[in-house]
Amino acid sequence: MPENMEKVYQERLERYKTANRNEKPDRVPLRPFAAEFTSKYAGYTAQEVTHEYEKAFEAVRRCAKDFQWDATVVNMIYVWSGLVDHFGQKYYKVPGIELDPNVGFQYFEPADEQGAFMKEDEYDALIESPTEFLANVWMPRISKYVVGPQDSNTYRNNMAWLKGGLSLMAYGGAVGAANEKLKTECGTVSCVSGPIKAPFDILADKLRGFRQVSMDVYRQPDKVQKACEALMPYLYMNAKVAADPTKQVPVSVWLHRGTMFSKDMYERFFWPTLKEIIIKLWEEDDIQTIWYAEGNWDKWLQYTKELPEKSIIYHSDKGDIFEVHKQVGDKFAISGGVPNDLLAFGTPEEVKEVCKKLIQTVGKDGGYLMDAQAIIQSDAKAENMKAMTEATLEYGEY
Amino acid sequence: MSNNDIYEALVNLEEKKVKQLVSQSLEKGMAPEEIMEQLQKALIEIGDRFEREECYVPDLIYSGAIMKDAVELLGPKIKEKGAEAKGKVVVGTVYGDIHDIGKDLVVMLLQNAGFDVVDLGVDVKPEKFVEAIKESGAKVVGMSCLLTISFDAISKTVKAIEDAGIRDQVSIMIGGAPVTELVKDKTGCDYYGKDAIHGLRFVSEAYS
Ligand code: B12
Repeated sequence: MPENMEKVYQERLERYKTANRNEKPDRVPLRPFAAEFTSKYAGYTAQEVTHEYEKAFEAVRRCAKDFQWDATVVNMIYVWSGLVDHFGQKYYKVPGIELDPNVGFQYFEPADEQGAFMKEDEYDALIESPTEFLANVWMPRISKYVVGPQDSNTYRNNMAWLKGGLSLMAYGGAVGAANEKLKTECGTVSCVSGPIKAPFDILADKLRGFRQVSMDVYRQPDKVQKACEALMPYLYMNAKVAADPTKQVPVSVWLHRGTMFSKDMYERFFWPTLKEIIIKLWEEDDIQTIWYAEGNWDKWLQYTKELPEKSIIYHSDKGDIFEVHKQVGDKFAISGGVPNDLLAFGTPEEVKEVCKKLIQTVGKDGGYLMDAQAIIQSDAKAENMKAMTEATLEYGEY
Repeated sequence: MSNNDIYEALVNLEEKKVKQLVSQSLEKGMAPEEIMEQLQKALIEIGDRFEREECYVPDLIYSGAIMKDAVELLGPKIKEKGAEAKGKVVVGTVYGDIHDIGKDLVVMLLQNAGFDVVDLGVDVKPEKFVEAIKESGAKVVGMSCLLTISFDAISKTVKAIEDAGIRDQVSIMIGGAPVTELVKDKTGCDYYGKDAIHGLRFVSEAYS
């Protein structure tokens, strides 16, 4: 790596780490979570980046270079159609196959009891042994090829596990190499390691489907609670083993359904197990978590506040980021706040104005990272993304 | 049994009690229409509570499920009869987007209020919206959009409606988490509803 790139990288890493720990770096770091924006900017269709992950990585590098991002996600187009094909996953639809080449991949959540990947009377089996349940019952349901232990084995089943396993390894290796390239070619930090989800969200997204869980919380609340408790250690382990071994970059939690709950439900089903995972990662493993609060999580700020100082980086989407800053800014770093509608339809001047305000209020004493509210898709205009960079360079220095 | 029992039970989301009361009332000769009226009133109350943040998305979903079972008990007669619909509305999630929980709530509240909803589902192409508007003669079309990437699909749908020469016939409302007034203006829609209740109000006005 050219010497000056190494220097740029080290500066950015330091800037990123300092801001994450809610301290004052030399400048506000630019840390966009960008998905389809990168592919469009690099001239690729949704189909190309979903089928060929090297193109997805390359698109990110293009943007990281041109927009001088300090830190970013190495690839937010996280579905690779190879893996989908090898495991025969039924819940993804892929551009160029089931979808128009220019439409992003889609994940279909089970919509009714019949389609649910876990049935209403299977809580006990899940609670008893989550891994056995996933391998023996869930996998055969979500895969076109995998069969359960009660069925006779097939060639397709063997090939699915074999090819799926190999492609997981291939992708994992490719991500490692892509992180390295992002560093040596762009001087940009790969900003997250392992992902976490709240146990309840796993139940809603991947097992029962939200509609079914919405009834379960009334019909069999104890089981829902126990299921969340049973999933908790696995989700913790998942994050821990996927986390950056050098502990420089955080893991991220993608918060889905908690905003849709009443206080009682949040307290019972959502919060306790999620809280435990985050605290464990922080206290036992020294790993920070990006609290990616999808939607508006302001009503739960009093709970989030209970987390140990610096254990999370609070990402604000539709919430009021200034209020978030008032309430938890002394405990946690904060990211986000640039409205996506403005990136899509506003002018560069308007974007700059918003960024300036964010820097001067939320970022006043450090602990702020520049990013949009939600994941940046192809609706964002390049000139507005450029304005975000310019504003950060212009007003973001301390 | 007082006259409001079924209403109360549904408002309180007491699934078993609702079923029991509906069966008992039928046995005692209560008119299915009367039972239906109580059930519908309860759903409207739940919708109002949702707006006041006294009840939440899972409650809406659950109440919908309880309602469905109760209507089954009332038998096919009541379904055929039904009150005269207040008007037709076409609703769908725009092309490229499969989020449907918010859209389904909009559909549910509209139906509860007595509108006849043509639900096009998710990932709906502009042509399909146009076709449905033409076929139903709906005065309002509602688009749900949860992905900023699909802002473009909103614009394209509006354009398709214009090209089909039916823009004057329909009011277009949009909603979904990333949608804002700015998005409404830039895509050429008529109304942005920040939640399902606002959508219902807009439709009610259009048909008033
Ligand atoms: C649940 C969820 C999912 C579920 C969807 C399940 C389902 N069956 O719908 C799953 C896990 C499948 C999912 C998938 C994805 N998701 Co998603 N998802 C969410 C989440 C967390 C909640 C959405 C929701 O259900 N809200 C609850 C309902 C009740 O609220 P609502 O939809 O806003 O509806 C209310 C109002 O807006 C209004 N309303 C809605 N529609 C309409 C229409 C009219 C006419 C009116 C008047 C009112 C109205 O009424 C409703 C009730 O009052 C949001 C974040 C958020 N909190 O908004 C992200 C979010 C929408 N998803 C996002 C993304 C990126 C995705 C994926 C692309 C992720 C990915 N890369 O894998 C895929 C997309 C697949 C696809 N092609 O569509 C992003 C979009 C980013 C962006 N730039 O727009 C969001 C914003 C998260 C984020 N902050 O980044 N997602």
